[in-house]
Amino acid sequence: MSIPGFVIRNALRNKRRLLLSVLSAAVSLFLLVSLMVLLREFTQPPTDADAALRVAVRNKVSLMSLIPQRQRAIIERVPGVDVMTPFIFFGGKTDPDGGIRFGTLAIEPSKLKRLFPEIHCAAAEYESWLKDRTSCIVGRDTAQQYGYKVGDRFTLVSGIFPCKLEMRVAGIYFGTVDDRNLFLHHKYLDEAMHDWGQTGMWWLKVSSAEVMPQVIDEINKAFANTANEVRAESERAFQASFVSMWGGIKFLIGSISGFVLLTLVMVTASTMSMAVRERFRELAILKALGFRRRDLFALILAESFGLAALGALIGAGGAWAFYTGMDVPRATHGIFVTLEVTPQMLGTAALVAAMLGIVSCLAPAIAVARMSVTEGLRTLD
Amino acid sequence: MQHEPIVTIRHLSKIYRQGEMEIAALDDVSLDIARGEFLSLMGPSGSGKSTLLHIIAGVDRPTSGSCHVGGIDVTDLDESQLADWRNQNVGFVFQSFNLIPVLTAFENVELPLLLMDLSSSQRRELVNTALELVGLADRRKHLPKQMSGGQEQRVAIARAIATDPRLIVADEPTGNLDSASADTVLEILQTLSGEAGKTVIMVTHDPRAASHGSRTIHLEKGKLLP
Ligand SMILES: Nc1ncnc2c1ncn2[C@@H]1O[C@H](COP(=O)(O)OP(=O)(O)O)[C@@H](O)[C@H]1O
Ligand SMILES: [Mg+2]
Repeated sequence: MSIPGFVIRNALRNKRRLLLSVLSAAVSLFLLVSLMVLLREFTQPPTDADAALRVAVRNKVSLMSLIPQRQRAIIERVPGVDVMTPFIFFGGKTDPDGGIRFGTLAIEPSKLKRLFPEIHCAAAEYESWLKDRTSCIVGRDTAQQYGYKVGDRFTLVSGIFPCKLEMRVAGIYFGTVDDRNLFLHHKYLDEAMHDWGQTGMWWLKVSSAEVMPQVIDEINKAFANTANEVRAESERAFQASFVSMWGGIKFLIGSISGFVLLTLVMVTASTMSMAVRERFRELAILKALGFRRRDLFALILAESFGLAALGALIGAGGAWAFYTGMDVPRATHGIFVTLEVTPQMLGTAALVAAMLGIVSCLAPAIAVARMSVTEGLRTLD
Repeated sequence: MQHEPIVTIRHLSKIYRQGEMEIAALDDVSLDIARGEFLSLMGPSGSGKSTLLHIIAGVDRPTSGSCHVGGIDVTDLDESQLADWRNQNVGFVFQSFNLIPVLTAFENVELPLLLMDLSSSQRRELVNTALELVGLADRRKHLPKQMSGGQEQRVAIARAIATDPRLIVADEPTGNLDSASADTVLEILQTLSGEAGKTVIMVTHDPRAASHGSRTIHLEKGKLLP
């Protein structure tokens, strides 16, 4: 037998308690990693190079407020603006069944590829879409999920605007982080809305990252003190403000994580102090045999560390296996495209487990260090 | 005594304070114990036997007085020096055996050796020697609960002697044993003090057990009777 062997033998002494404490650590760490995964999905900024050149222009009042299409001429004249398109959330549902869970976005098709070069679509399909005002392209994930093929027809009814649009699938696109949207012609919506002259926002691309601040500034100034003041911001800033809508959720997730941790520490700490209290006399004997305070401290710490580490391995490792193996879009009904467990999350979980191991054995370890052998012996004879 | 003393105790007192009350567990005890002696320490319950034993063994500290063991004043050592000193110089035997229940006889005996700088084969040899000495070589793989009380106590003695200490302290080692097992244990202690040259200090209130020793002293209310 060796000292590690002794630690293992001690840990295995009460198998049910071992199982329960390892499981509680595992479940809590699984939860913790899950919460981190969700938080990341909510706050992840786009990272591609084109995103650094894109600017979103929206109504200063709110994301939901529309802006007039006549702003276009003014924005297009701003030096540094390369390409721009109107953009609006159509909020489409298929008619009559209504079941749809993907974004339906109206844009100017001829500008889409220059704005979002990551979009890939067969040239013939793209051409056919450009030519036919009443057609759309559909993301590959959505096409697979709903079984759409090129040439399919269906009716989209807007949940936002009073109109219905007959649709033909002109093509299937792929290559974006989220191949689930449907793009349709803004013009088609305009017609259905009797040339209403409105759009949701402008997406534009500037010629270089250097000119971006100036472009943003000029656009903001151009509409200052008009009836439709705008806020122009980089895609990153736009995403961030979009995400701030999730601020409440972040707070909620943060709070839940906190409580999970607190519970975990309490459970593990009480397990450890139980384990130590039971063995108080044995620890006194070990002291009599020549074990120093720090030896006993190390024994207790190693056991508590071991429990936490095993819990972390099962919990965080389990989370990794679970989210890596799962068909995320299907399981989440398309709410999430990927749920990724990053090395940082595993690192955080390991750190939490290590802290847990230390914190939970602190009180019992101190009690043992303070205990005198005679005191410990007196509890037995 | 023909041998030089291994334990020299001078004016040793241990006072417990409980509020206004002062309890003298030990009251000005002076005592010499010779190398190889088998000393029986007798006295009524509460007379300070365990306290004296614990101070000699370096697990308790006196209020005043000195206690030299093998030339070292144990009252001068700090906590961690004392731990090392105990590991190398003292073997403990308790009334309630106090084996670790999840360890086999072999592993229990090996426990104090883990603190020493020994290879596992050196440890194995020492453990086997100790177990043979108490006549339990064939019980190596048994857990404490698979043994009788007498066998458990013999394993405890093997654990006490595995590190080859010069001092063996036993606090009522036969208190929980039937008389046959008690005899075996006492004979082992006798052998240790005689042939193996260990100094054995045994607390007991059983005169029959005490008679196995080479000398008997009596404590009463913390004082040594003449
Ligand atoms: N921690 C303590 N606090 C107060 N009194 C104590 C303490 N430990 C021992 N005593 C007292 O010291 C005396 C001697 O105790 P002890 O050495 O255990 O006696 P014995 O072993 O002879 O039965 C007893 O009166 C006991 O009550
Ligand atoms: Mg006693």
